[in-house]
Amino acid sequence: MLRLTISRVLNEAKSSPKHLFVATRSQSGEVKKPEKIEVFIDDKSVLVEPGTTVLQAAAMIGIEIPRFCYHERLAVAGNCRMCLVEVEKSPKPVAACAMPVMKGWRIKTDSEMTRRAREGIMEFLLVNHPLDCPICDQGGECDLQDQSMAFGSDRSRFTDIDFSGKRAVEDKDIGPLVKTIMTRCIHCTRCIRFASEIAGINDLGTTGRGNDMQVGTYIEKLFMSELSGNIIDLCPVGALTSKPYSFTARPWEIRKVDSIDVLDAVGSNIVVSTRTGEVMRIVPRVNEEINEEWLADKSRFSYDGLKRQRLVTPMLRDKDGELKAVDWEAALVTVAKVIKHAGDKIGVIAGGFADAEALIALKDLLNRLGSEALCTEHTFPLDGSGTDLRSSYLLNNKIAGAEEADLVLLVGTNPRFEAPLLNARLRKGWVHNESNVASIGPKIDLTYEHEHLGDNPSVLQQIACGQHQFSKKLKAAKKPLIIVGAETLERKDGGAILSAVQSLAACTQPEDSHWKVLNVLHKVASQVAALDIGYNPGIDKIREGNLKVLFLLGADEGAIHKEDLPKDCFIIYQGHHGDQGANIADAILPGAAYTEKQATYVNTEGRAQQTLVAVSPPGRAREDWKIIRALSEIVGAKLPYDNLNQIRDRLDEIAPHLTKYGAVEGANYFKQAEQLSKNTKTALESQPIDVKIKELQDYYMTDSISRASTTMSKCVQAVLKQKQSKYSN
Amino acid sequence: MSSNLLRLKNLSKCSISSNWAARAFSTSAPRQVEPTIKNDIALLNPDEIEHKKKMQELITVEGTTNLAPISGVPEEHIRERRVRIYEPPKNCMQSGTSNIGHWQIDFDARERWENPLMGWCSSGDPLSNMQVDFSSKDEAIEYCERNGWQWFVQKSSLEKKIKPKSYGINFSWNKRTRTSTK
Repeated sequence: MLRLTISRVLNEAKSSPKHLFVATRSQSGEVKKPEKIEVFIDDKSVLVEPGTTVLQAAAMIGIEIPRFCYHERLAVAGNCRMCLVEVEKSPKPVAACAMPVMKGWRIKTDSEMTRRAREGIMEFLLVNHPLDCPICDQGGECDLQDQSMAFGSDRSRFTDIDFSGKRAVEDKDIGPLVKTIMTRCIHCTRCIRFASEIAGINDLGTTGRGNDMQVGTYIEKLFMSELSGNIIDLCPVGALTSKPYSFTARPWEIRKVDSIDVLDAVGSNIVVSTRTGEVMRIVPRVNEEINEEWLADKSRFSYDGLKRQRLVTPMLRDKDGELKAVDWEAALVTVAKVIKHAGDKIGVIAGGFADAEALIALKDLLNRLGSEALCTEHTFPLDGSGTDLRSSYLLNNKIAGAEEADLVLLVGTNPRFEAPLLNARLRKGWVHNESNVASIGPKIDLTYEHEHLGDNPSVLQQIACGQHQFSKKLKAAKKPLIIVGAETLERKDGGAILSAVQSLAACTQPEDSHWKVLNVLHKVASQVAALDIGYNPGIDKIREGNLKVLFLLGADEGAIHKEDLPKDCFIIYQGHHGDQGANIADAILPGAAYTEKQATYVNTEGRAQQTLVAVSPPGRAREDWKIIRALSEIVGAKLPYDNLNQIRDRLDEIAPHLTKYGAVEGANYFKQAEQLSKNTKTALESQPIDVKIKELQDYYMTDSISRASTTMSKCVQAVLKQKQSKYSN
Repeated sequence: MSSNLLRLKNLSKCSISSNWAARAFSTSAPRQVEPTIKNDIALLNPDEIEHKKKMQELITVEGTTNLAPISGVPEEHIRERRVRIYEPPKNCMQSGTSNIGHWQIDFDARERWENPLMGWCSSGDPLSNMQVDFSSKDEAIEYCERNGWQWFVQKSSLEKKIKPKSYGINFSWNKRTRTSTK
């Protein structure tokens, strides 16, 4: 029986699909895509790629299988067993999240066996889960609560005959952001997987086994990650909840407003939850092109800074040098008088939180007064093509593109703290796409391995002319990516660095002609919009201008001091926080923070997005562009827009991409920019490339909102304390 | 067959045991009802028939319908409101997806405050609680147009490319996906 005749063997060999496959491969020269296989889920047919899991196949046709441990952005763990489903002709139910489908399988997600399996799992989970939903912060948006209603048994068999109580676990202290109530933990290990895969911190893990298993850090330590807040979202039960939000509001009594985060230049999509005109919390909103479903800690937890240090009323400095609260009329009339007297000797510095509407209104006003001294607080080199060609100041390849790269060169940037979500993408590429990362700048911890090429700017030239060992790799790379930090370009030789990077990008050979090698990573949310509208980067014009009036639009980073200005210069500050800008101001016009206005922001990719009004501005504060519009009328240079639509029409007139919300207006002219950059006169200096934010404690408080936040200051303290601990590495 | 028999048996039991049923049958049977004329065209004049025919036809109005003038909504809540049309995303705190996959409209937020008596949220905005669901974007747009509201569509990118996941990569010896902790 086992022995086959020779002819049969030969015949089979000829027609065997394996050989056929090899034959076609050798003919066409490319690997054929594996054929899709058909499976039936609840008698609905679905065609999937081989290797797809049962749970994924079901999701494709809109059938959701309940789960606790499975998360589509994390590795498969397969330990909660909630996703058990029946497969026809299989004696036992299978775990849908880990089981790849086979051809012709008939999967039943609502059969008797499946329901019984789910009910059993629910019962096991609830035996060791406390009944504290009424005092649990997760209550109302808890997966365990929902799924026990949908799939659990209608009665309990749990009777505590020994009165020994349920299983109890000691709470862990993992920092000021995440509150742990470990008795509620169902051991799904989502937080562990998030920490090790996405955050790149191998601090969380399990100890013990069986009934004694515990999730934790083993020794008590801080969960030192800039993405730590995401484990709150991931936790399907109330074991990990938000410490600042604890016991403040319930999910059914809050109103959710979609908005955009402005604390970094990534422009993460967020949902602002409010109650009674107060921001209760901020959670991420899914946007596959930007933040997936994560959010950095500063963006998530610094909302308490929106309630402190606020400017709630217009103020004027009196003769004694004290700021006194006045009403809007007095403030506007005084400011207008000063502006009228100044003529064209007026300048503007726009800070990091300025929205496009305010920027355009202020620019129109100043141009009407005959001044062109409109500057941004953050510098960008003006040599070569300067800011005329958009491609030289954008993250051209987009944030989502970062995970596809095979070689990344970071120049003078620490994406981990400047744009944590971009770093998460880079890490994703490093883990799943086997990409390699190299950095020029100080030695930093990026949460993934990377090659450190030194901190001398001349390394750039060495790579460009092929003297460096790295230049070979860069040339061979199919999808190379060079990311330059905007902070490095603020150096005196920023122009030379940009020019060196441009020529470096030009000598790479990406496989795909649409692949964009040169990327600039900004640190503040307003910069790209300001440059698009036509602001001058850097404040040189202000220093030279011999100004009579200086208008600070939320400029709080201390770029300018009173000593830099003529003695009689009148400083107007418009913004939402009493920080460095308000400190030196002679008049204060209270504006709205990003949660209080419908405003346009352009992120570092060049993607215009808008925030929405979640709460109304506190006290007498008003939306920024409206203040400028009101001022313009008193000054006598009335701006021609009365409502949001009209000012957006004006934005549209200048740069149509500013009102195409959600879309990226890609930039081009890389070649021209590179050619123009050769005219750069400045030379590279020998001073080493440095970044400001190197460690986690520097990350939390970087702008006027996060500096006013108590949560953020607690984080800084916690990190410093952890650093002193003998268990810190 | 057996079930028919059973039914018959029950019926007979009913009629015997309950007197009220029998009475109801007996009284309703002899009552005389005036016949209704279903077709009253026979009684009408020719011009009346003509008029009636015209009334039954549909009138097509050119252009879009605008309900704003007759809806009774105050002017300030038509002119000054801005409607957002959007696709609600999945709540990041939860894994369920049944309550998404449609389009919604809501209005711009106005001032809210805490009621000093009970601590409840108060608002002077009658449209703050109006959230309407639609199956498509176009339906939502049409609805807004009809009511005379200014609207904008919030673009969201929720589509994710499905990549086959595998349990095995946790243990592959030569990949960075290998996990050390559990």
